[in-house]
Amino acid sequence: MSTLNETIHQTVRLRIMAALVTLKADEEVDFTYLRKLLDVSDGNLGAHLRKLEEAGYIVIQKVFEERKPHTYIAASPAGRKVFQEHVEALEAILKGK
Amino acid sequence: MNISPTEAEEALEAIQVVMQKTRHYLANSGAYAFLIVWGTIWLLGFSGSQFLSPQIAGYNWIALDILGGAISVVLGVRMKKKVRSSNPIASGTRIGWFWLLLFLYCGAAIWVSRPVDGRQSAMLIILFVMLGWMAMGLLLSVASIKWALVLTALALLGYFFLPGFFYVWMAVLGGGGMIALGLYIRSNW
Repeated sequence: MSTLNETIHQTVRLRIMAALVTLKADEEVDFTYLRKLLDVSDGNLGAHLRKLEEAGYIVIQKVFEERKPHTYIAASPAGRKVFQEHVEALEAILKGK
Repeated sequence: MNISPTEAEEALEAIQVVMQKTRHYLANSGAYAFLIVWGTIWLLGFSGSQFLSPQIAGYNWIALDILGGAISVVLGVRMKKKVRSSNPIASGTRIGWFWLLLFLYCGAAIWVSRPVDGRQSAMLIILFVMLGWMAMGLLLSVASIKWALVLTALALLGYFFLPGFFYVWMAVLGGGGMIALGLYIRSNW
C-alpha cells in the first residue's frame, strides 16, 4: 500500500515535484523558468529545492553556458517513484472518504 | 502522517493544476515567439506579393525567409536553455531533417504540378507548411493542430473565393492571425 510522503506533501514542494515529473525522464528545467512557472520567489524556491535534493528526490546541476551560470533541475528516479506513491496514497484517502 | 479526505482532494487538485500548467507552458511558451516572427514574415511577404512586381516580391520573400530562419534558430537555441534534454541532438536533428525533406517534397510537388501563377505556388507552399505544422503538433503539442487547421481553411477560402485579393487575405488573416495568436498565447500562459 502506498504511503504519504511528508517531505513531498508541503505545498511548494508538492508543486515543484508535480512540475518536474511532468517533464520527460531525460529532461531538466532551468531554475528561472521553474520559478516563473510556479510563481514563487528565488529564496523560497531555493530552500525547497535544497530539501528535495537532500532527500534525493531531485537532481540539481549547476553549469556555465556562455559564461553565465545556469541551474538545471530534474526529478530523480527515486523522486518520481515517491511522488507516484504519494499521489496513489492521496487517491486512496479520497476513495475512502 | 494523516490527512483528511478534503486535504487529499486539495493536494490532488493542486498537482493537476501544476501538471496542466507545465504542459501548457512547455507547449506554448516558445511557440508564441515563432508565431509572431513568422506571422510578421507572412504579413510583409504576402503584402509584397500583392503590391510589388513579381520579381521584387520574389526577392522580398527570399530575404524574409532567410531572416525568419535565422531568428528561428536563435529562438530555438534560447528555448533549449529553458528545458534541456540529455538526448536533444537526436530529436532536434530528426525535426531538422523532417523540415528539410518536407521543403524538398514541396519543391518537387511545385516542379511536377507546374503552377500557372504565384498564387498557386503560394497555396502549395502554405499546404506543405501547414502539413509540417500538424506533424509537429502531433509530436510536440496536439493542441496547436487546431490553429494549423484554421489557417489552412482560411487560406483555401481566400484561394478559391477571393482570388484577386488572395495575397492581402493571407497577409492580414494568415500573417495577422499568427501574430494575434502569438500575442494571445503570450498573454494567457
